[in-house]
Amino acid sequence: MGTSRIAERVAAHWRTAIPTALLLAVAVTQVVLVRVADLSPWKGGGFGMFATTDGAAFRYVRLFVDAPGRSEELNVTDSLEFDAVRAQLFPSQRFLTRLGEAAGARELRNGREAATVRVEVWKVEFSDQPLRANERRLRSLTIPIDWRPPAN
Amino acid sequence: MGIELILRLTAVELLLRPMGPWGVRPLILAAAGLALLVPRTLSSSLTWYALTALLTARIVADWPLPDNHIYLLTYWCLALALSLGATDPARTLATNARLLVGTAFLMAVIWKALLSPDYLDGRFFRVTWLTDARFTDAVQLLGRMSASQLTDNREKLAPFPEGAEPLNHTPPPDPTAFQYLVLMSTWGVLALEAFVAFAFLFPRGARASPLHHLSLLLFCGVTYAIAPVAGFGWLLLTMGVALCRADQRLLRATYVVTWFLVLFYSEVPWANVAVSWLSARSGA
Repeated sequence: MGTSRIAERVAAHWRTAIPTALLLAVAVTQVVLVRVADLSPWKGGGFGMFATTDGAAFRYVRLFVDAPGRSEELNVTDSLEFDAVRAQLFPSQRFLTRLGEAAGARELRNGREAATVRVEVWKVEFSDQPLRANERRLRSLTIPIDWRPPAN
Repeated sequence: MGIELILRLTAVELLLRPMGPWGVRPLILAAAGLALLVPRTLSSSLTWYALTALLTARIVADWPLPDNHIYLLTYWCLALALSLGATDPARTLATNARLLVGTAFLMAVIWKALLSPDYLDGRFFRVTWLTDARFTDAVQLLGRMSASQLTDNREKLAPFPEGAEPLNHTPPPDPTAFQYLVLMSTWGVLALEAFVAFAFLFPRGARASPLHHLSLLLFCGVTYAIAPVAGFGWLLLTMGVALCRADQRLLRATYVVTWFLVLFYSEVPWANVAVSWLSARSGA
C-alpha cells in the first residue's frame, strides 16, 4: 500500500521534481565547497552572487618561479589567464597544479630555466568602520617543473 | 501560444548571449537557431534535451567560471524537455517554473542572510558601489557622488599587505545619499528576493497568484535596471510567462514588455545619459 502510493507520487511528479532536485543538489554541494575548499561563493551554482565581496574582483593569483640562479615573480600572461581565473575562484590542488605547470612550461618554452613554480591565491577582505581592505593568502602550492632535455 | 512563446523566448536568450568554448558554442547557437526557424524542432523534447546536454557540457568545461544563471538555464531546458513529454505540458511547465524560481531565490536569500559574512552589515554594497566600474554612473546618479569622490574612495580602498595598519587613517564619512543607497540596496535586494522566494514556494499547490507575478515583475523591473546580468532577467521573465494561464493575455504581454525593458537596460547606458544630462543642466 505504502509502496504503491510512493510509486504513484513519483509517477505523477518526477517531471517536476528532477530539475529542482538537481538545483538543490548542486547548490548544497556549492555551499560545502565554499566552506571546505575556498570556492568563491559567487560561483558553482549556489546562487551566492551579489552576496559577498569574495568574488573574482577581489581574488588574485601570484606566480613565483625558482631555478638555480633565478627566483622571481611572473606575470599572469594572456595564455595563463583561464587557468589563473579558475585557480583563483577554486584554489584546489588540481587547478593550482595545472596553473603552475602551465606557467613552468611557458618559461621552458621561452628558454628560461624553471625548477619549481609557486602558485599563491590571495583574497582581499574588507573590514567595517572604517572600511579598509586587507590582503590574505588563501592557498599556496609549489609545483616541481618536469624538465626534459629535447630529444635529438 | 503560451508554450510556444516560452520556447521562443528561451531560444532567443540562447542566441543573444553566446556561451561556452568553441566545441560547444556553435552547437548551442545552431540548436537555438533551428528551434526558432523550424516549428517542429522548437516543440520537440529532443531539442531541449540536446540543449540541456550542451549547456551541461559548457558548465563542466569551464567550471567554476559559469555564472549562476547558466545553471538555472540548464535546469530550465531540462524542465522544458520533461514538460513537453508530459500529458499536460503547460501545467507541468508552470510547476517547474514555480519550483525553480522559488528555490533559486531561497538559496540567494540564504546566502545573503545566513552564509555571507559581509552582506547584512552593508559592506558588500558599500564596496561594490565604490569599486565596480560597471556601477559608476548609478552611484553618481543615486548616491550623489562626484567622479572625483569615487576615484578618491577607490584609491583609499587599495588593500594593505597582510597584517599592515595605516598611519592616521581617518577617512571622511560617506555622503548621506550614498549611505542611503547602501542601506536601501542591502535591505531592498534582500527583501525583494525573500518576497519572490516566499511567493513562489508558499502556499504549495497554488498554480499562480497575483503575488507570484507582482513579486517577479517588480524584482526584474527594479534589479536589472542596475545589475548587468540581463540573461538572468530574461530567464526569470520567461519562467514568469510559464506561470500565466492561457486566458491571461495582458499578463503575458506585461512579461514580454518587461523582457524588452531588460534588453533596453542592458543596451542603453541610461544612467550615464541621466548623469550627463544632470551635469549639463547644473552647469548651465
